[in-house]
Amino acid sequence: MTMLSRVAERLYWTTRYLERAEDTARLIAAYNHLIMDLPRGNEPGWDILVRILDAEAQFYTRFRVPSEQNVLRFLIADGDSPSSIPHALRWARENVRTTRDVLPEDTWELVNELHLYAEEAAERSVGRRQRQQYLEEVVNRCQLINGLLASTLPRDHAYRFLKLGQLLERCDMTTRLIDVGVRELLGRDPHSLALQPPLWSALLQSLSALGAYRRMIAPVVDAEQAITFVFREPCLPRSVDFCLRGIREEIRPLHEPQAALAVVERARRKLARLNVEQMSPTQLQRYIDQFQGLLGELHAALSETWFRVRPQ
Amino acid sequence: MQCSALLALAAAELAIREMGITFTVYSEGANIDRAWPFDIIPRVISARQWQQVSAGLAQRSRALNAFIDDIYNRQRILADGVLPAELVLESPNYKAPCAGMSPRYGVWAHICGSDLVRDADGRFYVLEDNLRVPSGVSYMVENREITKRVLPELFENYSILPVDDYPSRLYATLASLSPRERKRPCIVVLTPGIYNSAYFEHAFLAQGMGAELVEGSDLVVGDDDVVSMLTVDGPVRVDVIYRRIDEDFMDPEAFRADSMLGVPGLMRAWRAGKVAIANAPGSGVADDKAIYAFVPEMIRYYLGEEPKVASVPTWLCQREADREHVLRHLDQLVVKPVNESGGYGIMVGPHASAATRRRFARLIEENPRNYIAQPTLSLSTAPTFIDGSVEARHLDLRPFILQGRETWVTPGGLTRVALVRGSLVVNSSQGGGSKDTWIVEGRV
Repeated sequence: MTMLSRVAERLYWTTRYLERAEDTARLIAAYNHLIMDLPRGNEPGWDILVRILDAEAQFYTRFRVPSEQNVLRFLIADGDSPSSIPHALRWARENVRTTRDVLPEDTWELVNELHLYAEEAAERSVGRRQRQQYLEEVVNRCQLINGLLASTLPRDHAYRFLKLGQLLERCDMTTRLIDVGVRELLGRDPHSLALQPPLWSALLQSLSALGAYRRMIAPVVDAEQAITFVFREPCLPRSVDFCLRGIREEIRPLHEPQAALAVVERARRKLARLNVEQMSPTQLQRYIDQFQGLLGELHAALSETWFRVRPQ
Repeated sequence: MQCSALLALAAAELAIREMGITFTVYSEGANIDRAWPFDIIPRVISARQWQQVSAGLAQRSRALNAFIDDIYNRQRILADGVLPAELVLESPNYKAPCAGMSPRYGVWAHICGSDLVRDADGRFYVLEDNLRVPSGVSYMVENREITKRVLPELFENYSILPVDDYPSRLYATLASLSPRERKRPCIVVLTPGIYNSAYFEHAFLAQGMGAELVEGSDLVVGDDDVVSMLTVDGPVRVDVIYRRIDEDFMDPEAFRADSMLGVPGLMRAWRAGKVAIANAPGSGVADDKAIYAFVPEMIRYYLGEEPKVASVPTWLCQREADREHVLRHLDQLVVKPVNESGGYGIMVGPHASAATRRRFARLIEENPRNYIAQPTLSLSTAPTFIDGSVEARHLDLRPFILQGRETWVTPGGLTRVALVRGSLVVNSSQGGGSKDTWIVEGRV
């Protein structure tokens, strides 16, 4: 049984948007945690979240000052901002609405409820009191939907394209998360490195990977090791390496996968060349930018091969 | 009793929500999916009476198809003066690009939804034949599903003819049209998309037939006139298109050039015989309230038989004598525009204000071709659950007739009920609901 390109594309975007919502929530939650641990006056600015999401242009057309309130409003309560959680969930919902027939019966209901929750609770969740609860709720409900799909969806085309969207978005967001830490390393004097362990713990936490890091690497979090862990650890489900291998696995059985596989292999070679100890923060930042460029190319290859099919 | 009825009602509402049965209403600003208004009390018709109606509907469908095939080819019926040529050829429903085509089995309208009413004399009358893109059949199937969930005991005591095999019957009908001899021809359901009021039904039927639900942008027509759908495995050739978009929007090359929904070149592919389309473009020529008046004549002309199911007497306002009669009796008649569906633009004379009647008199004089009139029937009623008690409400019935290699009529059909007291308008877009319809064998 084949699948319409249009349907495949909508499935792919469904999980991209769901993953984006989940990872944005994780990102804000981690940062939120971090801020509360730091002595007053020493906090990095909230605008870093906006920069990580490549959303400066949109942010500054809406707000003048990147204050905590404004940034959180932008990411949580502003449904029109393309970087906000409700925006991502609205689009996830729109895509599920038109592909209901190839998904498990409860998918539509869960996605629809999550979308309604994210819109209804957004306004009151900008402030610190309820913010954390909102973010957790979004993450939990996304996990619920992932669980439903993983445990009930037949392993055919529908599953493959959902998986591809999820893994690619996760890869992208994981590298952005590392970017948060790296940008903090930049332009700081050496003695502020005291900031590093709590920052990297928070980042690992947001990937649900802090416990794994302590068990597998060391009890105290070190910036260089944490970066290598998140990029290259083969058994960590949110690591870049793990996601890339997953993508390769889903692409291989598809029709004419060569072009997309070639991009995956380039990304994997790039990953193999990562040597954090030898790199300055500036080099590391450039590396991440290049890596995200490769992920963009991968999206273009998927799109070209399977979503924009034209007859010969 | 009251209490158990309320419980059953609650159970039905829950089932409708869970099953996700919705329809879309256009006029509410943003399109909104509404839950399907369903009445739990089934409507019962005896198998004996149904058999006769069913035979009449099959006969009608054969005659209508013979008429369409004749009109686009030899036009014998016009040459013999059975009905006036200008009535047919000047109608917007006559599609010149279809002339000269003769689809397989001579069948154009493969799926027909005819609206029936029962008058005071207890007989069924055909009110109109929908030959373009008739909808509602999914609700017929879903209504039965709800009744089975909510009132399972009743099914022990009666022998009720099943309706849930409709999608497989439709599949067989469509498969019989395939231009290629294949064990499993590639069948697609062509929908205008999510914002169409019947999108739920399009998805339902596609799923029921194991067919792809496609939008115009999913299909392409090659230089070899072959239609393909674009899939992740590359282009796949399509054999049969179950068309749920209006023919005017079907192909911007042949009809409306501004259509965003259609498939450029689809007409060309159909004319080349590379793809079958159901219903065939042009079928609407027989789905016109003015043509309706002549169906009994068509049955005699093409089949040499007497009509087995009655039509409602109809006055054509374009004929001078008819028009005078209509204008004199506006307070007694139902006036309908020839080219509207969904119950829009209708005047029910006995219920209309003097101002409305004057407005319709003016409309008729301005454009007589556009109006017909029929007597106001005393539509039958059935017990209906309204706000916790049972009241009488008017209803109609839409059975579906499938015609491919063989003819098949649904046992029963979709019963639509006017939920507003005294109202005769049953359309779901205008506050109508529906009931499960039982064709029951033996004593009822």
